Amino acid sequence: MRIAVLLLSLLLTAAPFGLLGEETRQVSLKVISDWLDTSQNLLHIWAVGATSTLHYVWSSLGPPAVLLVATNTPNSTLSVNWSLLISSEPDGGLVVLPKESIQFSSAIVFTRLFEFDSTDTADAAAKPPGKSYPPYSLANFSWANITDSLDPATLSATFRGHPIHDPTGAFASGSLAFRVQAFSGSGRPAQPPRLLHTADTCQLEVDLVGASPRGNHSLFGLEVATLGHGPDCPSVQEQHSIDDEYAPAVFQLDQLLWGSLPSGFMQWRPVAFSQKQGGRESAMPCQASPLYPTLAYLLPQSPIVRAFFGSQNNFCAFNLTFGTSTGPGYWDKHYLSWSMLLGVGTPPVDALSSLVLGIMAVALGAPALVLLAGGVFLLLGHKRYSEYQPIN
Amino acid sequence: MEEEEEEVRALLPGGPDKAGRGAPVTPPAPGALPALCDPSRLAHRLLVLLLMCFLGFGSYFCYDNPAALQTQVKRDMQVNTTKFMLLYAWYSWPNVVLCFFGGFLVDRVFGIRWGTIIFSCFVCVGQVVFALGGIFNAFWLMEFGRFVFGIGGESLAVAQNTYAVSWFKGKELNLVFGLQLSMARIGSTVNMNLMGWLYSKVEASLGSAGHTTLGVTLIIGGITCILSLVCALALAYLDQRAERILHKEQGKTGEVIKLTDVKDFSFPLWLIFIICVGYYVAVFPFIGLGKVFFTEKFGFSSQAASAINSIVYVISAPMSPIFGLLVDKTGKNIIWVLCAVVTALASHMMLAFTLWNPWIAMCLLGLSYSLLACALWPMVAFVVPEHQLGTAYGFMQSIQNLGLAVISIIAGMILDTWGYLFLEVFFIACVSFSLLSVLLLYLVNRAQGGNLNYSARQREEIKLSHAE
Repeated sequence: MRIAVLLLSLLLTAAPFGLLGEETRQVSLKVISDWLDTSQNLLHIWAVGATSTLHYVWSSLGPPAVLLVATNTPNSTLSVNWSLLISSEPDGGLVVLPKESIQFSSAIVFTRLFEFDSTDTADAAAKPPGKSYPPYSLANFSWANITDSLDPATLSATFRGHPIHDPTGAFASGSLAFRVQAFSGSGRPAQPPRLLHTADTCQLEVDLVGASPRGNHSLFGLEVATLGHGPDCPSVQEQHSIDDEYAPAVFQLDQLLWGSLPSGFMQWRPVAFSQKQGGRESAMPCQASPLYPTLAYLLPQSPIVRAFFGSQNNFCAFNLTFGTSTGPGYWDKHYLSWSMLLGVGTPPVDALSSLVLGIMAVALGAPALVLLAGGVFLLLGHKRYSEYQPIN
Repeated sequence: MEEEEEEVRALLPGGPDKAGRGAPVTPPAPGALPALCDPSRLAHRLLVLLLMCFLGFGSYFCYDNPAALQTQVKRDMQVNTTKFMLLYAWYSWPNVVLCFFGGFLVDRVFGIRWGTIIFSCFVCVGQVVFALGGIFNAFWLMEFGRFVFGIGGESLAVAQNTYAVSWFKGKELNLVFGLQLSMARIGSTVNMNLMGWLYSKVEASLGSAGHTTLGVTLIIGGITCILSLVCALALAYLDQRAERILHKEQGKTGEVIKLTDVKDFSFPLWLIFIICVGYYVAVFPFIGLGKVFFTEKFGFSSQAASAINSIVYVISAPMSPIFGLLVDKTGKNIIWVLCAVVTALASHMMLAFTLWNPWIAMCLLGLSYSLLACALWPMVAFVVPEHQLGTAYGFMQSIQNLGLAVISIIAGMILDTWGYLFLEVFFIACVSFSLLSVLLLYLVNRAQGGNLNYSARQREEIKLSHAE
């Protein structure tokens, strides 16, 4: 109980005063198109607060990628030079102005989709989790126009794609989708894992639906690359919590932090779902490898990352693997869904829900009250009783 | 829960003596039979004791099969936790009614020997049907199996106690009850730690996991029930033989159930019922769901989770007799019950709100569970006249089974929707309800000048004054 109150007060004090943290923001979404080729998708989300602006630039030029730029002015803008951006030397194609207002910037690139055959692996925790099929390079995917999926009401848009060359027809009736959603205030979605979001965050849901797996017990994985700041890779923290109210039986929260707090963060629960309802019976563990430094040329290149950060960058990558050979798995319903938050400032922290606190207060308060009332009653009643004692 | 049935008898001072009336002890014909075959000799009684202990082993072993194989059952049968917990609910449903009739069936309908054999058969058939449900991938069949198993399981415990009284009354009865209790705990413990391993072996030999593997594992687990049935047959033979040689009567429970007595139950008795239900629903369904909790929240391996999930039973095996003695020597039952309930509350709070090593909390829960059994059940005898004792205990078990059935289902639903933290909070609320009742009981007892919280010396004095 005391721990709960402590957690709650910690949250109340920490959340609003974190760097760049704002209770609410004015969030806008805009698809920026190339005049010449409308199939090139660039989604600009900017969240304007009283003293800061956060820019998220999502794109499916090359592999799906996102730039995350935090500025300390409500008036910063993004400028796009398309001819530079789609050229072979895109450096300087994306700029956030004024440059000196930038407090933090980083990027995430989703480079490859892995598929493993887990039938022969008895050990569920083995790495890799079985024989690997040739991975799908997400740079060689063709992506649908996001303008159709843009929903200003929910502040969301979806990048939906399939491989350009698909000789086996695996994606004939399937797709890989990146659903991006921004928020103007804090809250929690209805679907598990129900990560707590704030106005400083943006949610990404990765859905693999309907693609034919190449084996009966295929496990899928996602390669995620990010920019290293300095020579070291960012760290992944595994936080254990007592609270699984929003994601039943998941007691862990994973965070990738780009620097000492507060900076940018990527946050997710180590769980994915094999059904749309996202119930406990369809929950698959999601294992993250440690980050390892990698060379830029080993990864599919993202033009927007190069356009903003230039060509001299350290890249770090890690792999997420969804499910284990013992199931549940993608093979159940040919469905896989995993969510993460991307944001700036102090990562949101779950607090015990008011329902839990309420029940605890009643559960502990009621006996205490009875004890108190009973004590008083006995003290007063005892005197009366003692008058009758001599009869016995 | 079948354990309680035994505890009632084992721990209640007057309980066992009601049963097995008139078992005349005739002096043996000297040297007529070797010691092991002579029903009047200790060696023979030890043989009978061994059979009695194994008589209940099968049902205790198989009762917690679902808990030991929680992950496997849910995965292979593709059921959620709510449906999984129905396996426990279906065990409890028949016993809501049967608690009243177990004694009646043994005394009036079947007789102890046939009664035991029939109940053992129910246990065996129930377990086999349960396993067949796995083999045929039919979850409803598994539920039906648990229902049949439940019909046999609880009544078998009644029969087992009756045998014990009939053979050991006036001799080593308390020791025998203690040993039977320990055997029950060993059965549960072995199950918790063995079934997961057994499943993996079956999986290795069949080549894959799945409902067939689950069914085969459960069938193998069912061997313990066959063993129990063999013990029932052997006991029936030996008991009949002893009757022939020693002219000893068939054992009887001597239970008289009169449902109309319910209207005479006093307020403190109802409070005792509430304490009982509130407490046990926070223990048994928790153990049923515990294994996955320890793997998910505390990162335990499957084996370690099994071990910690069985620690409550392991602790209660040696501690029950010790606490029994303690409560006997000191009296003050309400205070002991209060201690047990508060300890359980603390234990659940630790499990819910801390990441401390759960061994601490589970050991506390084990101690609390043993203490409560020793202090709570005998209290019924203090508030109920002796002729209503059978009804009161029957009612207490019936309510307990009703509570377990309902709460098992609710617990499964809570877990599926809101997770373990909320489930733990729910259990805390249950224990707290129990605590509230203990406090009320204390106050009511004080106000009415009741005898529930007398020390052992006070009880002795009252007994003496009555004798005069």
